[in-house]
Amino acid sequence: MAEKIPFREGTFIEEAEGGRLVGNKCKSCGQIFFPQVQTCLNCFHKELEEIPLSRQGELYSYTKAYMPASRFQPPYTVGYVNLPEGVRVFAPLKEVEGQSFKVGLPMKLVIEELWRDGDKEVIGYKFTPA
Amino acid sequence: MKEVAVLGVGQSVFGKLPHKSVADLGREAVSAAIEDAGIKPKDIQVAYTSRLYDSMVTSQTVLKEVGVTALEMFNVENACAGGSTAVRGVWKDIASGLYDVGIAVGVESMTTSPIAGKLIPPAKDDLEGQLGMTMPTLFALLARRQMEEHGATLEDFAQVSVKNHHHGCLNPMAQYKKEFTIEEVLNSRMICDPITLLQCCPNTDGAAAVIMCSMDIARRYTTNPVKVAASVLLSGDYTFRQTDITSSPLGTQAAKMAYEMAGLGPEDLDVVELHEAFAPEEILRYEDLGLCAPGEGVALLRSGATAVGGKIPVNPSGGLLSLGHPLSASGVRVVAEITLHLRGQAGQRQTPNAKVGLAHMLGGVVAGLEAGACGIHILSR
Repeated sequence: MAEKIPFREGTFIEEAEGGRLVGNKCKSCGQIFFPQVQTCLNCFHKELEEIPLSRQGELYSYTKAYMPASRFQPPYTVGYVNLPEGVRVFAPLKEVEGQSFKVGLPMKLVIEELWRDGDKEVIGYKFTPA
Repeated sequence: MKEVAVLGVGQSVFGKLPHKSVADLGREAVSAAIEDAGIKPKDIQVAYTSRLYDSMVTSQTVLKEVGVTALEMFNVENACAGGSTAVRGVWKDIASGLYDVGIAVGVESMTTSPIAGKLIPPAKDDLEGQLGMTMPTLFALLARRQMEEHGATLEDFAQVSVKNHHHGCLNPMAQYKKEFTIEEVLNSRMICDPITLLQCCPNTDGAAAVIMCSMDIARRYTTNPVKVAASVLLSGDYTFRQTDITSSPLGTQAAKMAYEMAGLGPEDLDVVELHEAFAPEEILRYEDLGLCAPGEGVALLRSGATAVGGKIPVNPSGGLLSLGHPLSASGVRVVAEITLHLRGQAGQRQTPNAKVGLAHMLGGVVAGLEAGACGIHILSR
């Protein structure tokens, strides 16, 4: 059984039904950040609270790439999803047969393997049609 | 602040030239600029050189080829806006009175770089880079919003490429001197949809150099010097402040600062050279620079105004698409090109009676920021 490691610590939590991205919110001005920040980048307040973000959002833009990037072999799709908290997330998109991507499409977060690193399964977040 | 003039410009031929070292490419550009300026190499008092890939002491490496050593030299980087950064550095030193004569050089050997033949990625540990973000990806995501928000079509995007490749045919230095039709552009290999191969800047090797001096020194060499009316370098702000990605706070603000410095507006421009690494992007740049109202870039393109012969030629050089894009050279090359138009030396692609021109460059992809940097210089004569 391959060991699973997150592609980056502190960006998501796994749940029984998919997962959630984890951001943080400034206790002073209320600005929400993803990924989490150490100090509020808006008002410089030092106290923020960790908040799990909505699992669903709206597709803002997308593109299918036909040349390799990072560890992804083509073709692969990536896009921006707007979450209700006012956060826009860039992520790989997972296609669903029979459903083409279009701006405004409701999307939900899934946690799955992004790539293999030797015998380790590197996992991360993707969005897929809700 | 003292008035600064552009005294000499030069560039190497642009193309896939892996057999040429960075010293070779740089030497071509620098020699041409020194000859164009009519100065002696030892007149140069300060140098700023930009290079992105695999660099170390590039100023020194290039300038030793022409007998220039033992003076203050900087090596700078700002992704594709590196060249603008070099120009800005020299401008600052002369405008502040520190030096009287300086040279800005930009050079890149893309074909021998670690990313030759690949998509340009952000820095190694960039969050979005790990998830598949690259330069063409970013502009493809933007292009889709242009279609959604501004009614831009695939044909509009292809038209930018057709226009700039036509301009390339008029430029002896261009990497590509070939006409293309809209169909050929749209049918070329898909890179990141909707951006096809002929809508992407090529891998280009090349260099450009600009020699600047104080206005009183310039008047010893010419009765009609080219003045640097504005010099701006600005970095990008957070994306959490940017609701609409087709509207660029960075570009708009940099342009505003430049127009204020120069004491003129976009309506006063005769010619523009700007960053269009991916064809759809050029349309948005018209809007940043105020050549048209926000959202009206498509209409401006369709009117033909931005072609050579039109009311406000954009990228008469052939741009990054056709002349080519040696990343760090481009920011210097656009200043050189505008200078040629103002002097009436732009050959077949000349803008008639050009008196004011704007040179723009943009660079850098960083997760969480709109972009790395935007450099704008306005020249007048």
